Amino acid sequence: MDFNYSIWLVIGIVGGVLSLGVAIFLYFWVMKQDPGTKAAQEVAGWIREGAAAYLKRLYAALTTLALIISVLIGIVFSLEKGVLGAESGSTSFLPFGVVMALAFITGSLCSAVAGFMGMRVAVEANVRTATAAGKDLAGAFKLSFYAGAVLGLAMVGLAVIGMSVIYMLTHNAQAVLGFSFGASTLALLAKAGGGIYTKTADIAADLVGKVEIGIPEDDPRNPAVVADNVGDNVGDVAGMGADIFDSYVASVVAVMLLGATFGLKERLDPTLYTILPLIICSLGILASLLGIQFVRVKEGGKPGAALNRGTIITCVIFIVMLFGLKLAFPIINTGVVWAAIAGIVVGVIIGFTSDYFTNDSFAPVKETSRVSTSGSAITIITGFSYGLISIIPSVIGIVTATLTAYYIAEANGLPGIYGIGIAAVGMLAISGMIVSADAYGPIVDNARGIAEMAGMGQEVIDRADVLDAAGNTAKAITKGFSISAAALTVLALFAAFSEVMAAHGVNITISLRSPIVVAGVFLGAITPPLFSALTMLAVTNNAFDMIEEIRRQFHAEPGILAGTHKPDYARCVSLAAHGALNSLAIPAFLAVGLPLVVGFVLGPDALGGFLGGAIFTGVIFALLMSNAGGLWDNAKKYIETGKFGGPGSEAHKAAVVGDTVGDPFKDTAGPSLNTLITVMSLVSSLFAPIIAAFHLFS
Amino acid sequence: MTIHFYFSLVPEALIASMLDPEEFGFYYAVGTSRKTRGQAMFFEVDPAYRNPYFRIDEALARCIPDEDGTPKTSVYISIYRVLEHIDLNALMSLYLTTQDGRTLELQPSPEIPNHEKGLHLYQEIAPVSPLVVSVLSPVEFYELIVRDPSSLVTVPAITFAELDLGELADDPEMGLMDNLPYSNSDHLRECLSQVKTKYISTKMVDRAYVPKLQYRTVKNGFFVGNSSQLKYYPMPSQTELRSENYRWFRSANM
Repeated sequence: MDFNYSIWLVIGIVGGVLSLGVAIFLYFWVMKQDPGTKAAQEVAGWIREGAAAYLKRLYAALTTLALIISVLIGIVFSLEKGVLGAESGSTSFLPFGVVMALAFITGSLCSAVAGFMGMRVAVEANVRTATAAGKDLAGAFKLSFYAGAVLGLAMVGLAVIGMSVIYMLTHNAQAVLGFSFGASTLALLAKAGGGIYTKTADIAADLVGKVEIGIPEDDPRNPAVVADNVGDNVGDVAGMGADIFDSYVASVVAVMLLGATFGLKERLDPTLYTILPLIICSLGILASLLGIQFVRVKEGGKPGAALNRGTIITCVIFIVMLFGLKLAFPIINTGVVWAAIAGIVVGVIIGFTSDYFTNDSFAPVKETSRVSTSGSAITIITGFSYGLISIIPSVIGIVTATLTAYYIAEANGLPGIYGIGIAAVGMLAISGMIVSADAYGPIVDNARGIAEMAGMGQEVIDRADVLDAAGNTAKAITKGFSISAAALTVLALFAAFSEVMAAHGVNITISLRSPIVVAGVFLGAITPPLFSALTMLAVTNNAFDMIEEIRRQFHAEPGILAGTHKPDYARCVSLAAHGALNSLAIPAFLAVGLPLVVGFVLGPDALGGFLGGAIFTGVIFALLMSNAGGLWDNAKKYIETGKFGGPGSEAHKAAVVGDTVGDPFKDTAGPSLNTLITVMSLVSSLFAPIIAAFHLFS
Repeated sequence: MTIHFYFSLVPEALIASMLDPEEFGFYYAVGTSRKTRGQAMFFEVDPAYRNPYFRIDEALARCIPDEDGTPKTSVYISIYRVLEHIDLNALMSLYLTTQDGRTLELQPSPEIPNHEKGLHLYQEIAPVSPLVVSVLSPVEFYELIVRDPSSLVTVPAITFAELDLGELADDPEMGLMDNLPYSNSDHLRECLSQVKTKYISTKMVDRAYVPKLQYRTVKNGFFVGNSSQLKYYPMPSQTELRSENYRWFRSANM
């Protein structure tokens, strides 16, 4: 069979449109389901309004930021012709700066639309899931999973359409880099902002509601309960959606940039190897669309097993498709197929090992629960230690995928680093399925909250609990998956950065004997911890303000606690939104500004060292914080099932402290770090031509 | 407005109030300005009950609505030695209020639980509040504390609850304590072993364990007795509470 590049780009776009179409179809299917009682709809309405208000503010702020950055990009790149990745003979009737600016805006817009669609369906699906849970588990599961699939499929669809169209129009991989930078910038702010929002509300609601006043979780008397439920959506749906969108696009772009250099050095067909990641993503979309069909559960069945089955089947379908592609088109290098398989297999293994450290069926959670009987200090030390240990399997997985992909690629005549990039693409190719399972989590969590607040009855709450437990597992798997994929992506981006520099006459030499490189490494290494500290301090500062507000409401209106007077939910929602958005300026500067400062001042070698330092500490911190936080959370839940004294015991009190410490670890700082290192790598690659030309130190 | 009488167990007090039991429980747990919280256990007392020891009619005269028409929340009639003076026949339902003000009503039952094999754990609530392990059944324990003239340690009347010991009831050394929230578990096991192996029938585990009793640990119910009679207020099972009193159940299981 002949390999026609244009047709493959069209197939990619068709695959994206198909994915988007199914997402839209599922959205309307979800909207047709029974929205439930008036009381349930009223509670869901509060959550919906709070989420919409936050997104409106977030997107208004991001629109301004995106416009400013796009103007800067437009000006800067008007001086640059986009040497790397520009196919010979490609022309554009627009100046390169305008192309880059438009690509940036398109990337931001696609990421925003995917997040918006995900959240829009989530805030409608939560109440419908709660209502469906009143009838049976299978129906409620189907509804919540299909609602999650709206985000998963919309995200991959928009990403592939966006990248394919931009490449088709420009034939320039660097223009797609602009698209990726737009997506990542929005993702970083959406993820960090959502993380700050959700934990501000969660911690404040718990500290005043549970600890001070003694009211249970999701109790409608708590003024912060709606903000807490809104937070699940803005952090775990819109934030996580934007995060995976960013990793997905960045992995593809890194490989496209590397592929584009093949014509310069390797004498391989650059166009083929530039569009190959898009082809792999198209296969991943089809595999996800098929895999989603296998995610079903019967009454009394296990939703977690159904989600895992869907993931495994999707992987198998994807691998079969890769072999099919190779058989149909022998021109495709065998190394690409095996590198992609290495990526997907290792990705799934890493995901499930993350689950080991956060699942209460295994030793780490049980042991942390057990030692909680000796107080909160031991809980924290044990959880933190397991968090540190949890880094090991993921890092071994990353190393295995890196080396396997590298040497397989080399053995088949491809540059090894291209193989690493393909492994990242392989890992993320089935993001449609992974994100669907992940977005299911906050939907069922919200459904449980609505059932509780609207007094929908014990049976509904019991079923929602079963659904919710599976959501937590899916969340843990996704985090391990996304962090590992980001690690491989940034390795490929790092190589792409070096190639861009080389194309502009600067050969990056990273030697620890060079003081300028060492300076860069140290500056890079401190960035993820600093970013983590800033976002977690934002949580504590904002939570402090919200705690004051909740206390004020309880004191000013005694009827709130009596249940005779409705709290001012909107005030807490507004405080959380305001606090989260106001806290983003410095973290955003760290991500976008610091690499540029290092690059322009200390030069390309230092910037290389900077990225290296940031990548290594970023991956380690991300894994540590995500897994330790998840472990503390589940240790508390494990005790609440009646172990080690159960609720109200000394062990439970210690575990609650651990959980509160872990909240900003796992939902604010940890998951934002992979986006941070991706954004820093993208900024460096994007501005590499300019930095190559202008820097103080050589 | 109807005036109710409530006998609070912690602290012991006889109170007149214009609030109905749920409202009173809420008020008593979280205060008028909702700035405080604390569990409450109280009986509703027959409004016709009179006893020269308590200046009830004097309190009734003071129990009038506030100037703005708000019902009077509480007029304290007595705060000392209430249990020993009150007639148990005047005690109506027992109310258990959680820290955030959810109230559960327990009604007395004529059927006192049969003696079960194994060890027992008793939380005395009033007039003193030690945590005690014993080989005696609830009825035997009451007899020993209130009616046995040979016993050195007696009280004129008592309110107590039997708490769940799980596997410890039969195997204090090796039994699992999974869902038992008691602190200082090693000491509890030691005390249980001692009553099992030595010639003593009861042993104090903790001098004053209340004021916060975890309702979910109550094994079968509450006992209130004086020299003339023993009354029993059975506690519904956790399953019953979850299905029929979900809000209270959640609040009590935090």
